[in-house]
Amino acid sequence: MILSIGVLLVDDQRDFTEMLGLRLQEEGHRVSAAFSGEHALQALERGHETVDVVVLDLKMPGLDGEETLKAIKERWPQLEVILLTGHGSIDTAVTCLKAGAFDYLLKPAYFSELLAKLGKARRLKWEREERMRMAEAKLGGRRSGGLM
Amino acid sequence: MHKVYRRLAKRMTATALVVALAPLYAVGAGIYFYFSGIQEEQIKHELSTLAHNRMSAISLFLDERTSVLEVLAQTSSKEALTQPGALEKVFGLLNRRAWSFLDLGVIDAQGRHLAYVGPYPLEDRNYSEAPWFRETMLRGTFVSDVFLGFRGKPHFVVAVKHSAGANSWILRATIDSEVFTRLVQSAQLGQRGDSYIVNCEGNYQTPPRFGGKILDPSGIDLKHVPRRINVVERTTAEGKHLLTAFAWLPKKDWLMVIDQDPREALGPMNLARELELAVLGFSSLLIAASIIFLVRHMVRRLEEQDRERMAFDAQLAHSGRLVSLGRMAAGVAHEINNPLAAIGELAGLLDDLIDEDFRKSHPHGTLFKENLAKIQQHVERVRSVTHRLLGFARRMEPHLEALEVNQVLTEAFSFLEREAKLKGVEVKLELAQDLPSLQTDRAQLQQVFLNLLNNALDAVEEGGHLRLESWRDDGEVVVSVADNGPGIPEDMQDSVFDPFFTTKGPGEGTGLGLSISYSIMQKLGGSITFESVPHQGATFYVHIPIS
Repeated sequence: MILSIGVLLVDDQRDFTEMLGLRLQEEGHRVSAAFSGEHALQALERGHETVDVVVLDLKMPGLDGEETLKAIKERWPQLEVILLTGHGSIDTAVTCLKAGAFDYLLKPAYFSELLAKLGKARRLKWEREERMRMAEAKLGGRRSGGLM
Repeated sequence: MHKVYRRLAKRMTATALVVALAPLYAVGAGIYFYFSGIQEEQIKHELSTLAHNRMSAISLFLDERTSVLEVLAQTSSKEALTQPGALEKVFGLLNRRAWSFLDLGVIDAQGRHLAYVGPYPLEDRNYSEAPWFRETMLRGTFVSDVFLGFRGKPHFVVAVKHSAGANSWILRATIDSEVFTRLVQSAQLGQRGDSYIVNCEGNYQTPPRFGGKILDPSGIDLKHVPRRINVVERTTAEGKHLLTAFAWLPKKDWLMVIDQDPREALGPMNLARELELAVLGFSSLLIAASIIFLVRHMVRRLEEQDRERMAFDAQLAHSGRLVSLGRMAAGVAHEINNPLAAIGELAGLLDDLIDEDFRKSHPHGTLFKENLAKIQQHVERVRSVTHRLLGFARRMEPHLEALEVNQVLTEAFSFLEREAKLKGVEVKLELAQDLPSLQTDRAQLQQVFLNLLNNALDAVEEGGHLRLESWRDDGEVVVSVADNGPGIPEDMQDSVFDPFFTTKGPGEGTGLGLSISYSIMQKLGGSITFESVPHQGATFYVHIPIS
């Protein structure tokens, strides 16, 4: 069974983004899209709860991928980010991986590859959330224990 | 790396290497030749100084002995010296000062030995025919060449004349040349240097270190040796390459020769050359390595950039294909939609005709009914496909033509008329008739209207109302599509134009319709706005500029 992943596509190439979005929808995922870094941040501001993974193009006018990534990781560290990059920006991609991106994909991206990476990213996000829940439960348990 | 880039890298590397290394080598060679020239000059100069010093020392040695004998001859009388014991006394005195006299004799003008002190029995010898005797009688002083004599020890003769007419006599002494051989040999340089004296026939007067014994011919061509001190490079008969200083003794026709092995002399220079070569080699390697590394890096970057550009070009080409596909798709969709509407209508009609009675009475009634439902179902599927195909048209560059907005709107509505009917939705058209014709893109505008109508139809309940209006406003024509559906909740109003934003259930809407419509209207120079009162409905306005 395919579990639905909340994906936010961020790319200034509308055609590419829409086609990718449609295909992801056909695969049963929840898709939203933004055509610039600024829009992506606004969209996350409105509803980051529905998003699991952000697919982020590195080269965009205005706020570029790297800056957008930093802003996202600063405000919503729980979101996983997969970068889309051309050959020329592999260096940047590596910098971004260090800045907390989950992985990167070379453009033009193979859809199956993207799907696989999305799955992995979401799994990682869940595991992390699970760990945090457990940690909180422990913390809560200890607190209540202390009160008793 | 691809072949073309490899070739480019090779060419760049070669050029850079030549440009970087050629001046380095030129400077290196220049420095080497300049300093080796200086060094050679210096060595020659030193050699010539040495030759001069040795020559002076030997000259002094001979002069000293000659003048001692001269003084003795001038200040003594033949009678005094020939008295018994007198010559022995003088000889003893002389040799006490280490003058290296082997013997001493007094000879009269007729060549007879008047007195003799020395190890040889020479008392009765007559020298009147000897060349040295004649020479001495003629010139007053004579220094012989070196000879070995009876004992095989090298020595030579110095004779001076006491002039007194017919009573003249000669003082003759034999001198051990050992001392002056040592003097000569002290000028031998390094391990392979040599120094010796040759007489005017070219025979060794002192033993050379290499290649011969005393009195052997030296092989030096004396005719070509100038009188002044000079240093030449020469090759011996054995093929030995030598740097040689020649210096003639001023009073005796002896030639002082100092040989030096140039390889030895230039030893430090050779070391410097090896050092220079090593440094040069090392820097060459370093330069070559950096050049190769840099060129490879650059070419790889270039290749990457090219590849990226090619990928980008491919993407552009892909977009181009999408555009033409879009144009075609829009055309095909239009062509299909009309017969499709007819098929749908007719299937619906047949469906209405096959009532319960017919179904039960006719043997294939149930089959008819089922198949008609399937036909309608498939018509719906094709319709959704054509709608989607129309969506492709949106990215085309606007193809402007003069058109009537009302006509485009009604055409778009005709696609959905049947659906509206089926749903029992009442559609009201209030279109202004005095609208100017507009320069805009028919397919794209139709796409916008279709999207809005589709949304409106989806929004209303069965039996709802739609109202399509058009009117002229300040510099633009406005088309509105209003429904009386549930409206757009306030918290979603910011997102309605976002791509993939949809309020429809999964599989029902892509969430691209409004987003696409929005970007189309932007491209056409117009805009799209909406008003919504929750639970009462929503109205979308399409603003199209007139100019």
